[in-house]
Amino acid sequence: MKSPRGADLVIPALALGFAAYFFVSIADLSWEAKANGVVIGGVLVLLVVIQIVRTGVEVARGSGSLSFERLWEPRDALAKRAGLVLVTIAFIATLGWLGLTLGLLLALCAALWIMGARGKVLVLLPLVVSTLAYLLFVLLLKSDIPHGPIEKLFS
Amino acid sequence: MSWDFLLQQFAAQFGLWWVIVPAILLGIVVGILPGFSPQNTLIMLLPLTLAVPVDQAMAFMIALYCANHLAGGIPAILVKIPGSGGAAATTLDGYPMTQKGQAQQALVLCFTASVAGGLITTLATIALLPWLSQIGLYLRSVEMVVVMLFGLTLIAVIAGKDTLKALIGGFFGLLIGVIGTDHIYNTPRATFGFLELYDGVPLVPALIGLFAISEALVMIEEKLIVDQSGRERAVSARWADTVEGLKMSVQKWWHIVWTSFVGLLIGLTPGAGASIAAFVAYQQSRLWSKTPELYGTGIPEGVIAPEAANNGVTSGTLVPTLALGVPGGSTAAVMMIVLQYHGMVMGPRLFATNPEVAYGVFVSMAVAYVFMIFTILPLARYMSRVVLIETTYLAPIIVLVTIVAAFGERQYLFDMGLALVFGVIGYIAHKTNYHVTAILIGILLGPLFEQYLVRALRISQGDLTVLFSSTLGNVLWGFLVLSLVLPALKSAFSRSSRPQP
Repeated sequence: MKSPRGADLVIPALALGFAAYFFVSIADLSWEAKANGVVIGGVLVLLVVIQIVRTGVEVARGSGSLSFERLWEPRDALAKRAGLVLVTIAFIATLGWLGLTLGLLLALCAALWIMGARGKVLVLLPLVVSTLAYLLFVLLLKSDIPHGPIEKLFS
Repeated sequence: MSWDFLLQQFAAQFGLWWVIVPAILLGIVVGILPGFSPQNTLIMLLPLTLAVPVDQAMAFMIALYCANHLAGGIPAILVKIPGSGGAAATTLDGYPMTQKGQAQQALVLCFTASVAGGLITTLATIALLPWLSQIGLYLRSVEMVVVMLFGLTLIAVIAGKDTLKALIGGFFGLLIGVIGTDHIYNTPRATFGFLELYDGVPLVPALIGLFAISEALVMIEEKLIVDQSGRERAVSARWADTVEGLKMSVQKWWHIVWTSFVGLLIGLTPGAGASIAAFVAYQQSRLWSKTPELYGTGIPEGVIAPEAANNGVTSGTLVPTLALGVPGGSTAAVMMIVLQYHGMVMGPRLFATNPEVAYGVFVSMAVAYVFMIFTILPLARYMSRVVLIETTYLAPIIVLVTIVAAFGERQYLFDMGLALVFGVIGYIAHKTNYHVTAILIGILLGPLFEQYLVRALRISQGDLTVLFSSTLGNVLWGFLVLSLVLPALKSAFSRSSRPQP
């Protein structure tokens, strides 16, 4: 069976892309500003090339494939994983309007539902966690985290 | 300084138990949460510490600071989420111990190594203060370049089977660490146009993303974070497991002592912190071990070394603050503000004019550590039950609460998004066996390494031989080469001495 090697190239591809951007961004700077980045970036590019060659040799020999399967496995967790990331993006995007307490309550409810939780826990757990977050971040530590309707109500 | 004076100081500090115990509890809560560093907490509580007498203020701040260092190891062990950069190395063996059903023992090792390491180095600091305060003067940029390289060699050490992947991860992290303005001209580099990245990549969002979020995205594949046998052990956790953890700590007492001194020495240098101390101690612990191949599989030494070292840093950090007036770290800087507000003048004169404050700080630290072990040790049994919570509930809480914590360090919404980006990178790294710790070491040490290297080269006007120009630096280079060559020599020796079949 061919071992799926395509996924092994994602981090090197990200690293290579970032190194290229880094080199462009420092092109006009003085040597003090770019010496470290050039050395580190140069070694990184070299390492990535070795990894690409290594993967290429495996694929050419027929012992490896360019499949990305390993990133999605197991398939039954994929929807939960994607859902969790989407809920987190929505939580960050709406935090300015909803505030910490309400935003966390709703996001946690949605995330738990996506994860398969049902019944009372779907409401009770988010209530407890968001109340504790309110007590710690807003009341005790007086963090500057965005305030929403609940924080304004109790202020 | 007489014995009578010291005893009076200890008696006075024990009398402040009503300040120390609440500070310990607050420090533990804040320390468990990545993102809420002791300096942030102390800044938020500055109105309180400025309003009370200086001895109470210092006792409160010191206890909170030490408890914070200790507590960072708790989530690192239980759910592979370091509460601070100093606890990142604890995940390497702490979490595997949890997966084997030894969470309680790992927590006890963390607590005893932290407390004993912190206590031993604090007492050593009290005894050797005049001499220790000079050490920071000898560790300049040249020597610090080599100290940073000690930490960076851990990238190769943790590589396991695939050195190439670890090196790619480490160098990727190092390049990410170079993001931000340079140290000489303040020109921005690779900031993607974000003003929020001008100060470099903030550590907390990187830590939260690479460890907490990526781990949560992986853990949902299983019902629990421990396997069946680990579950059975966690269900039947008894006080005997706490005792077993204590026995392990006693058996490894020498390990605690010497790794805590690694922390003390690194802490004496202004700017170097618990993170570098923990990684260097872990690397040295593995180097001198008879069974280096077991590191990373969940062994007591792998928990003891980083925890003893990151608590050994606590007293070291305060030495340059009090003796030279140069804060050893951001937390020490906040403490300096409070002391100066109360009319104290930092520097050598402090020990002559206000010895009760100068030595009292360290006595307060020793007393805080004594209180801490009695406060936290009984909790290990109950904390270890976290592993029995189903990932259905654990993963969403970890992702959303730690995303909130990412806001804590700099109070930017941008950092929450950054944590999520690092979470996705960490997830891909997890699934494809690129070590996230290697990436983190790069991000953590990259900026420090560059800072010291550029400073050294600037002084020498670009002459690289400056790196070999000091006696202490050359001794450190010798140790570095030795630490790189020794594992290969040991391995070659064991191969040649093995009987041929």
